[in-house]
Amino acid sequence: MRMTVKTVIVTADEDAAELAAGSPENVTVSDRIGAIPRHILFEDGSVFETDDNDAVDDWLASRFCSRTGILHRLERFHPRLALFALLVVVLFAGLYRYALPAAVELAVAATPPDATRLLGQSVLSSLDHSSVLTPSTLPQERQDAIAGQFRDLTRKTPQGEDAFTLLFRGGEHIGPNAFALPDGSIVLTDALVGLAPDDDAVLGVLAHEMGHVAGNHSLRSLYRAAGATTLILFISGDVGSGIHDILVQGTGLAALSYSREQESEADRYSVTLMTKAGRDPAGLARMLESLDRHPHAEDGTDFFSSHPATPARIEAIRRHAAQPPEG
Amino acid sequence: MNRTENNAAPVDKPEDIRPEPFQFTGTGREYFGIWIVNILLTIVTFGIYSAWAKVRRQRYFYGNTRLAGHAFDYHARPKQILIGRIIVLAGLFTYNIVVNLFPLASLALLLLLFLILPWLIMRGLRFNARVTSYRTVRLDFHGRYWGAAKAYIAGPLLAAVTLGILAPLATRWAWRYSLGNLRYGGRPVACDPNLKSLYGQWWLSALIVLIGFVLLGGFSMSIYGFLGWEDSLMTKNEIRIAILSTTYLFMLSIILIYAFAGLFYRAGTRNIALNAAILDERHHFSSALSRRRYAWIAISNLLATLFTLGLARPWAAVRMARYVAAATTIRIDGSLDDYLNQVTETGPAISAEYLDMEGFDFGF
Repeated sequence: MRMTVKTVIVTADEDAAELAAGSPENVTVSDRIGAIPRHILFEDGSVFETDDNDAVDDWLASRFCSRTGILHRLERFHPRLALFALLVVVLFAGLYRYALPAAVELAVAATPPDATRLLGQSVLSSLDHSSVLTPSTLPQERQDAIAGQFRDLTRKTPQGEDAFTLLFRGGEHIGPNAFALPDGSIVLTDALVGLAPDDDAVLGVLAHEMGHVAGNHSLRSLYRAAGATTLILFISGDVGSGIHDILVQGTGLAALSYSREQESEADRYSVTLMTKAGRDPAGLARMLESLDRHPHAEDGTDFFSSHPATPARIEAIRRHAAQPPEG
Repeated sequence: MNRTENNAAPVDKPEDIRPEPFQFTGTGREYFGIWIVNILLTIVTFGIYSAWAKVRRQRYFYGNTRLAGHAFDYHARPKQILIGRIIVLAGLFTYNIVVNLFPLASLALLLLLFLILPWLIMRGLRFNARVTSYRTVRLDFHGRYWGAAKAYIAGPLLAAVTLGILAPLATRWAWRYSLGNLRYGGRPVACDPNLKSLYGQWWLSALIVLIGFVLLGGFSMSIYGFLGWEDSLMTKNEIRIAILSTTYLFMLSIILIYAFAGLFYRAGTRNIALNAAILDERHHFSSALSRRRYAWIAISNLLATLFTLGLARPWAAVRMARYVAAATTIRIDGSLDDYLNQVTETGPAISAEYLDMEGFDFGF
């Protein structure tokens, strides 16, 4: 192949007949990647294939003074690649540690209240329709008493009374249980009220659930899981299918540890709020102890099984409750 | 056209048939640079470069896969890959919103997904074929929707429901669809692996699963038995945690057993399928993977990648590509150059680089 300034001419050898020719402007040269053959495509559709990558690059450089092949120069085996590897580790850690939480915060802030209301209502209606939840059979006066104390508690929060709604439900399958929905609805089962040693134990659990609402925990988990999946989908590239599966499993485990963090945050919220309301801050700890003794706890289907009521957790609440109130 | 037409000898004279092995010429050292720069630029550009990264990676692997001295080529444009990825991401986003906001509608959405999945697979196979060329001649794919539904929805479902007993049937459908619908320069590839031969490769994997299950069953029975013991020294809470983690390990072991047996099965059935594949009724493919060697490479690759925090991945990927290419051969009937001239003369009359590639890569 000869490459003059004006034309590119391909011949079998120096003197042989011209096989293909074209002006350099109308010739497309494929990018250099490793040592794979280069393709030079002519206007008439003919293709010239060569393994002489350096000659093609020399010609391109002299002809266009272009910076073609900058990627290839970066990719060449060089001590610099060790720096790149280090940079990848640092950037990936930074992305996971800082960019992901920041994106989650942004998404939480951008979520309209209508969407969270819809989210809460649809979850509740699907639970009601599938009879996971049944109407409460608790006597009306007992319901009113708990609801009254709950209202007093909500008045002590910065979000105010309207941010929370208490709902009484029965439900054989889920046993003694309480959970919060993203719209501020807090569902309390009859079995949990029946198991509670005293009212402060019930209110401690409700304050814990209010902590989940105040911290937007369900919305955060949702966005975080989506963000982590996107991160793996896009960033990981060629890691092999085995490692890919392990990474996906890993985000599942990371989500578990994330939910444990949320539990301790809600525990602290409960202690602080109960203290502020002039109630016993260790009520939640007493409830957790009762739950652990309850036979239902054994089959592992109750809400608390996702974060076992370990003695460590109960102790943390007690320790926190014994401290003088902050602020 | 060197052979004279009036030659009385039969066409399939043994000396006319030359086995041409595939060869992979990439190196771990070279691919490492491409791989790490791909990841770095993908992170720096918040994922946008991933489309360019994919093209560079594919071009490296295709360009290093050689047959009779010539390399394959990959022609997808990064923008097509990027658009495909944006569509997939938007789809996942919408799916997640609908599932969370309207849990009752998610069943209908799942059904819809099942309905469009065969179409996506079909388009993906077609895209991948059309962006692949060898000696400037493109591949093409002629599979249809129902073929994909049978091979990739009905087949796996049937295999799963029968706990793997009908897996060879699903494998047969999948190979018949993915390979049997390929065209090279308009010339068809035929592939109809024999069910009996596929079952010949099945029993070893079935035995591995069976032995694995027996061992796992005995092991977990004794653990659960110990946990249920009345005089256990553990508290109720400790027992609960132990049961949960044992159950998790149990599920993990089942997945690992199937994955391990699957390696042997995949290598064995690939041999059967390729040995039954013929290009243009003349050129026979053949594959001679050793099942044990294939499983060993796959497992040691995974472990090496894991223990080097991913850094050994380029070496591992190249190692596997080398082994699989070296075990694959095509027996060329007659002269390859003559055949290629014929194909270019009679095939779709556009050069490979100019063939318009409609469609996007959805990454299936």
